[in-house]
Amino acid sequence: VVEDADAALMLKVAAGDKTAFAALYDRYQASVARFAYKFVGDRARAEELAQDIFIKLYRSANGYQQSAKFKTFLFRVATNHCLNEIRRGEYQVTQVAENDAADGRGDLPGDDAVQPEAALAAKQLERVVRKALAEMSERERVAFTLCRFEGMPYREIAEALSCSEAAVKSLIHRATVAMAKRVGAAQEAVPAGSHA
Amino acid sequence: MSCGIEQELTAYIDGELSTGQRQQLESHLAGCVGCRATLTLLRHAVARLSTLPAFEPSPRLRREVFRRLDSEPGGLLQRLRQLFRPVVLVPSLGLVTAALVAVLLARVPGKELIADPAQLELGENLELVSDLEVIGLNSLEDLEVVKHLHELESQP
Repeated sequence: VVEDADAALMLKVAAGDKTAFAALYDRYQASVARFAYKFVGDRARAEELAQDIFIKLYRSANGYQQSAKFKTFLFRVATNHCLNEIRRGEYQVTQVAENDAADGRGDLPGDDAVQPEAALAAKQLERVVRKALAEMSERERVAFTLCRFEGMPYREIAEALSCSEAAVKSLIHRATVAMAKRVGAAQEAVPAGSHA
Repeated sequence: MSCGIEQELTAYIDGELSTGQRQQLESHLAGCVGCRATLTLLRHAVARLSTLPAFEPSPRLRREVFRRLDSEPGGLLQRLRQLFRPVVLVPSLGLVTAALVAVLLARVPGKELIADPAQLELGENLELVSDLEVIGLNSLEDLEVVKHLHELESQP
């Protein structure tokens, strides 16, 4: 049995304790919303997905077994939901054009006027990352996001994706190489002196 | 990125190699310029990702989740409490009691339901009716002949 404070909260959720659910929500809402955002590349759709994921988490509380680490269980629910919604055609991954500046919001700070060069570089990096994520396969995107943005070990990602660690290693490697090429190419394209 | 150990580089960055694998890879890196360059590229990209600003969900997300949660039935314990609350329990007990009384009354001797006598007679003679249908006696005249058949038999 995994000693996990979140797991104890989840058992309370299974007994109908909505306060325990609120504690879990507050702890993981940013992670889940970020995961969904990296998955679909659109803020509004990401928040719709995040809503559904938390409601599914609540509904599945009775089926939760403490042998699984809570975060792994949560991202298994999140992964299955996102993959199912994509397969059902409910969502399209937002494609990013090379010179797409219009939808560069999302994660970005609003201090363009204070540090215009830094803000421009951040916007460009954000656009490059979104484009690279959009070009990955769905499973590569899930594995890459859980590894790079949630800091999950390969073993837990394998549980979330219901596959072997060897498969996760391969997915993350391919995705990381693709991302590195994109980021490297974008950096070479930026004129000298435009970096903060 | 041409060496056969390329995949190990990502796992190396992520701290996913065993001690033996890590030592083996580090020995290889010491003599392989290409893999060192790839490692630098991968590390640089991973480091750049960590500079991305955090995604902050809107306050609307929390409101919507908890609004939807209010319409959820709750956990097993809460559902049992819902089921046994007085407003549900009292009428349910009344219905169950009424059903039990109805069953018990129906089983009291001498209180069987009285059916239509014609229906009872039909039920008793159902076999005969079907036999007559089988041999093709459908008209009243045919039935009259059958009824007086013994009179015809007794005539020489």
